[in-house]
Amino acid sequence: MAEATTLKAKNEQGYWAFVNKQFRKKKTAVISLYVVMVLAFVALFAPFLANEKPLICKYKGETYFPVLKELAVGFGIGEFQPQFQNVNWKNLQYEMAVFPPVPYLPMNQDDNNIHSKGPFDEQNVPSKRWKHWFGTDELGRDVLAGMIHGTKIAMTVGIVSMLIASVIGILLGSLAGFYGDENFQVSRVRLWGNLLFLFFGFFYAFGARSYDITDALGRGLGEGFVQLGISVLIFTAVMVAGNVLVMLLKKIPFLGKQVAVPFDLIIMRVIEVLNSIPTLFLILLIISIVRKPNLYVIMGIIGLTGWTGIARFIRAELLKVRNLEYIEAANSLGYSNAHILFKHAIPNALSPVLISIAFGIAGAILTESTLSFLGLGPADTVTWGQLLSYARQIPQAWWLAIFPGFAIFITVTTFNLIGDGLTDAMDPRLKQ
Amino acid sequence: MKPVEAEVKTGKTESGKKFFFARISFPLFGYILKRILIFIPTLFIISLLTFILISAAPGDPAETMLNRTSGEGQASDRLATERSYVALRHKLGLDLPIFYFAPTNLAVSDTLIRIPIKNHREMLDRLTYQYGNWAQIENYYHQLKSLEFAIVSSKKDSTNANALIELRNTAAKFFIHHEDVVLSALLVDLKNQSNVAANLTEVKAHAEAVATAYGKMKTEATAWEKYIPLVQWSGTHNQYHRWLFGEAKWFGTETDPTLGRGFIRGDYGVSFTTKRPVKSVIWDGLWITMLISLLVIIIEYIISIPLGISLAVRKGSTYDSGVTVALFLTYSLPVFWIGTMAIFFLCSPDYIEIFPSFGLGDAVWSDGFFYKLGDLAYHLTLPLIIASYASFAYLSRQMRGSMLTVLGQDYIRTARAKGLPDNKVIWKHAFRNSLLPIITIFASFFPALIGGSIILEFLFTIPGLGQITYAAVLQKDYPMILTNTMFAAILTLVGYLVSDILYAVVDPRISYSKK
Repeated sequence: MAEATTLKAKNEQGYWAFVNKQFRKKKTAVISLYVVMVLAFVALFAPFLANEKPLICKYKGETYFPVLKELAVGFGIGEFQPQFQNVNWKNLQYEMAVFPPVPYLPMNQDDNNIHSKGPFDEQNVPSKRWKHWFGTDELGRDVLAGMIHGTKIAMTVGIVSMLIASVIGILLGSLAGFYGDENFQVSRVRLWGNLLFLFFGFFYAFGARSYDITDALGRGLGEGFVQLGISVLIFTAVMVAGNVLVMLLKKIPFLGKQVAVPFDLIIMRVIEVLNSIPTLFLILLIISIVRKPNLYVIMGIIGLTGWTGIARFIRAELLKVRNLEYIEAANSLGYSNAHILFKHAIPNALSPVLISIAFGIAGAILTESTLSFLGLGPADTVTWGQLLSYARQIPQAWWLAIFPGFAIFITVTTFNLIGDGLTDAMDPRLKQ
Repeated sequence: MKPVEAEVKTGKTESGKKFFFARISFPLFGYILKRILIFIPTLFIISLLTFILISAAPGDPAETMLNRTSGEGQASDRLATERSYVALRHKLGLDLPIFYFAPTNLAVSDTLIRIPIKNHREMLDRLTYQYGNWAQIENYYHQLKSLEFAIVSSKKDSTNANALIELRNTAAKFFIHHEDVVLSALLVDLKNQSNVAANLTEVKAHAEAVATAYGKMKTEATAWEKYIPLVQWSGTHNQYHRWLFGEAKWFGTETDPTLGRGFIRGDYGVSFTTKRPVKSVIWDGLWITMLISLLVIIIEYIISIPLGISLAVRKGSTYDSGVTVALFLTYSLPVFWIGTMAIFFLCSPDYIEIFPSFGLGDAVWSDGFFYKLGDLAYHLTLPLIIASYASFAYLSRQMRGSMLTVLGQDYIRTARAKGLPDNKVIWKHAFRNSLLPIITIFASFFPALIGGSIILEFLFTIPGLGQITYAAVLQKDYPMILTNTMFAAILTLVGYLVSDILYAVVDPRISYSKK
């Protein structure tokens, strides 16, 4: 047994070591990986890189760390000292203060430099330290600060929406690929019973409690989650009770007859329908019915519309995997289908999905910046696409057209190059 | 020229023609028919999806269309606006249930959807959720309405002027609140305010009626009713059916011209914002988008196929690696960035002004055919370049890849071993086979172009399908969005069909006769 596990570990290491080696061979991919690391660093430390508050300051004899404090306040732990509430951080009389490299916030205006001052224009700033290196926009907001905070938004959108898309895509794709149309057999009563109880579950958990949930969400996220949790519990209870009932009814021969659930057919039809509406039209359609699209809504929409590629990818992969010998072996050893699917089939089909995730992140970032450029993106933050869209209104402000667009280009390209590198590294044709 | 060679040449083309027509044969038509039949359920599901999504949208279309100013005004005015509002709702079919059936519960009444004002509907829905007893809730609502009417129609004089204004404000609040605490406080307010002046006896009586109705609603509450699920069946008299099939007669002449003919009979409804039929707006847009997409496709295939082949043939050379990297970078350049930059630097008097920055020109066909054509070409050049470059890069890369795969095959080695010249090997043996993947791409390419039309037309202010959709999304013009989405889907499906047919024409191995 011990020998088997070490052998397995060795094999796995072998595969990943091989992929790693192949990946390292491609210089562009490796450079891209470093660029992504830099972008991730900028995204993570955006509040420390561009902020109006000092990183550290001495005020009236005491030392404070306002940026750290700001993070704590953001997480709901701690509050600003009374003397710092509603103050203009720049005008305070510090005994000592260290400001971030870019001493501006993306949303706040610099009243001395309105009407889009360029990097080479005369800027009304006290010293070089306060210069707007990438210029300002029409309202006097610092472009570099916007770019730094925009990195955070772009990376978050790319990763979170791809996470949503991968979970849906991997789950549905593997169901379709592994079970096909015939391999998922359940008794008649379990199939129809579960559909019925799904309806009852949703009815009692969400339908009959709709206003309780929306009201609680309106009062605050915490209360909302409590109510949602109760709903999920009710839903689970209904489903469990329903399945217990199904166990009893299964004894009746007519109801106990096995029928196949055509997962492949259903899921492929859903994908076909989704692919028949051009993605941007679908996204615009959803945005038109959302009151105010914020960041979470945008990420959700991109995730919910972007899973079909991954699902098709993993389906094709599992169609190959399910006929391999080790699946047959697991079958003959008497493991359940679900066990084989989740423990053996999916993990082995997963690595190629990394490729479509890398390309997917690039696509998601592009979609988000497109939406922002069209003025339909998240309204509560500054994004690259939004900055770029300002350029359309001010024909002289070339800095608004070049810098944000270049940031989008670099980010999208690096993720595409990583995807490209992974494709080459995992291509079995190169394995010889 | 030697006569022998000429003979060979004509022979070649003839056999090619024969081959081509042989491919488009009866089995293929059968296959196309089958595909079109499969499109119908897909389109049906898409229409269902979009329609239900749009029905969930917030806001009251009838209210937006009327731009009602509520609250102030004389009793007769208010009644008139309310009447026209109800009439408009009826005309738009908004007083109908959304779908053939709907999951609901015992407490919800089917008369709720007929309540004309959205705020009132929401308030009543809340009350139903809390108390369940629809008969009593309806009674309470009627009492509220008559109270409001009594207040508005009371004679104003110096003694009660202030009281009436206060009463009106209090009464208005009843229609947007459902919380017991608020309503109880409002009832007390109502009582006090109606006691201020002596000549408000009628209002006072109505206020008391409201109070009793409210009390009765609470004491006779049947909140348990909401826990009993029901499926409400509304038959064909619903919004979806009305939108898709229309109400007008299918055969014979329809006497009532106000009845719609439904989506499938070419009646797409009326735009909320312009109040014009959607049909008149959309056809122009569709024509422009189709023209641009087709031109883009032609340009891309014309450039990328020879380029891809030349790269594949010279694999490994500096030419190959240089162009491949350039293509990769081009592919990653966001269209809206390059578009913005192009407009910025090529269409602006501040830098270089070569191209017009927006529109399709003012020329009309009556100015002379060539004049119009030239004007159109002048306006379309930059948009076409911007729309083609990204996918042209992608296509060339694909073409290079598929040509390389084909060139590695055994039969190519055989052809070379036979001593055939390189040109012949590539164009005669490899070319057709290497086209297959490129044609498959067409299927995903076309929807991308239709989707991309939104960005392109936004950038250059071209009044096509994308621009119309974008404007409709901003203005929440739902009939417009719905129709545009349907047309985008139909165009996509047509794109899939075309790629299937091309595939059959190019690949002799594919047989559609039987499976």
